[in-house]
Amino acid sequence: MSAMANAVTRERSDGAILVRLRGEVDLSWSQQVRRAVLDAFDAGLAVGIDLADVAYIDSSGIAALVEGLQQGRARGQRFALVAPSAAVRAVLELARLDRVFDIVDTPAALGGTG
Amino acid sequence: MTAAQPAVVAGAAATPRLRDTGALVFLAELSRALAVSLDLHQTLTQAITRVRDFLEVEGIALFLLDAASQVLECRVSAGPIDVTGMRLAVGQGVVGQTLAQDCTQIVAQAQDDPRLWRGSDEASGFITRSLVCAPLRTAAGPIGVIEIVNRRDGVPFSAADAELLELVAAPAALAINNARLAGELLEQQRLKRELDLARHLQKSLLPRRRRDGFPVLGVNRPAHEMSGDFYDYFELPGGDIGFVIGDIAGKGLDAALLMMRAASLLRWIGKEHPAPALWLARANEELCESAREGRFVCAVVGYCDRAATRVRFANAGFPPVLVLHGGQYRQYLADGPPLGIVREVGFDEHEVALDGGALYAFSDGATDVRGSDGRPIGLAGLRALIERHAQATPKARLRSLLGELRRLHLVDDTTFLLIEAAQAERPELLFTRSLPARAESMRGLRAELRAVFDQQAIEPRLRDELVLAVDEACTNVIRHGYGPDCEGPLTVRATRCAATLTLEIVDEAPAVDPASLRPGTLGECRCGGLGIALIDRIMDDWRIEPAADGRGNRLVLHKHIDSWAGEEAADA
Repeated sequence: MSAMANAVTRERSDGAILVRLRGEVDLSWSQQVRRAVLDAFDAGLAVGIDLADVAYIDSSGIAALVEGLQQGRARGQRFALVAPSAAVRAVLELARLDRVFDIVDTPAALGGTG
Repeated sequence: MTAAQPAVVAGAAATPRLRDTGALVFLAELSRALAVSLDLHQTLTQAITRVRDFLEVEGIALFLLDAASQVLECRVSAGPIDVTGMRLAVGQGVVGQTLAQDCTQIVAQAQDDPRLWRGSDEASGFITRSLVCAPLRTAAGPIGVIEIVNRRDGVPFSAADAELLELVAAPAALAINNARLAGELLEQQRLKRELDLARHLQKSLLPRRRRDGFPVLGVNRPAHEMSGDFYDYFELPGGDIGFVIGDIAGKGLDAALLMMRAASLLRWIGKEHPAPALWLARANEELCESAREGRFVCAVVGYCDRAATRVRFANAGFPPVLVLHGGQYRQYLADGPPLGIVREVGFDEHEVALDGGALYAFSDGATDVRGSDGRPIGLAGLRALIERHAQATPKARLRSLLGELRRLHLVDDTTFLLIEAAQAERPELLFTRSLPARAESMRGLRAELRAVFDQQAIEPRLRDELVLAVDEACTNVIRHGYGPDCEGPLTVRATRCAATLTLEIVDEAPAVDPASLRPGTLGECRCGGLGIALIDRIMDDWRIEPAADGRGNRLVLHKHIDSWAGEEAADA
């Protein structure tokens, strides 16, 4: 388990908003994550959450992702998880949410079709 | 070997054929051939033909006695008429009388002799003119008769012929007897091998002892090779444990075979988890259809939870079930007749709160044991024995009980089933940490826990799940236990007992209503709901209770670690 610093960044890529999370998503900063996820919809584009560098996620982090899912549906914008790490996939499976989310392998797969 | 003198009936002159030079050589060869025979029937067939030719007689036959039916049957013969298979009662005809009197018979002139059984001649047209019969003697009495008929030279048989026949009879008797003993020995060895196999198979039906704090324990001591008793236990989906103890009426192989059938029948019905009374009723119907007359099955069947707090059971004709709780015995008599006797009988059932007590079910072998006064020790004697060993761990207690019963003299198969919360094998403390209940504490805690689980050889995926479960539990305390305006201590402890990992999270927050903590439905992210759902999926069981000193809450999580169970089995 690498001691990766927690970080959230946002970028625009091919007509979509990509929110990149790093580190361990837990209660200590899941509110920030939640905010970043919800704010990403403001541009009216597809939203992708890059989870490739997330070493750990707990239910508060999953809750932020679920809120993103609900927001996307409400606003008719695509919301997808991008390249979730094995640790994230394991928790999604455990929460039986792995089939609920739109999961893509690369940011390019988001398609800027907002 | 000449215990009886030949009964010379007719005074024919003794011919000195015994003194012929070839006689001794012939007898020596005959004895040797019989002694080294590998196939006695073939050797005897060849031998009597040679005897017939040597003695220059027309016919010769060898009869053997079937001890059970007391019938003499001709096994080999040589002559113009094949009499092989002829059967005579002991005492019937000259052959029968030779055996009955264990004495050589000479009939010089057959035509006039009333002892002769004429059935054979009448059927075959053969004319018996003269005959001699000699018994085949062994230490245990005669086992047959050898008969010669009609000298070829037409001369009636004499005492000298009888003497010669007796000399031939001796090695024949010896060889036949040896072959029989050898055959019996082989048969005994074969039977023993088969019994060993059957006993092995029967033992293999008994469940293996479980080590990981399993609350049901059984022992079975057969009085003979095979047991008519059995016990069984198995885990059911949902965590309950089904158990069975039974006893087949009667002993021996057929009781043992019925035991195997009853044991598997009860197991298969039990796996469907019917109420104990129904369980017995269904087994009863099945056994009534198939059990042989006079064979029936006594049994107790039931369920308990893993912590052995409650037991449900029903008793079909089995000795009373004893529940020992706080030094007091409660006794539960049979709720119905044994299985396999009458159809469509109903059974009652009991539900007992065990709460740290112990339930004993035992076959009647345990109470039929003779005490020092030679009388069965009965229920009172058995209770006294149980009390004497009450302090020992369940496993040691059963071992001591059986040991004492054996010293007293076991007369019957004896089987015990004990249900009791497994006494803690001293749990091993793996980890303990007190930390402020703050979200910022969690990352460090997770790292420490990962290291501990790695050290305990828990595979990475399970390790991460366990870490998640602890994290979710702590997070719940931080968010909902103490709340945003309040902070307090949090203690996390991990212990290992056999193959069970126990995780405890203790706080000093206001008491939580356990009913408010329910796993959320899928996708539901109300506060804490998803976290509890995750804990619920990861752990085998969990509970929340007031902390020991009455302040705060104690959340206890359990997980059976398969790789630890493997280590335990390797130790066994």
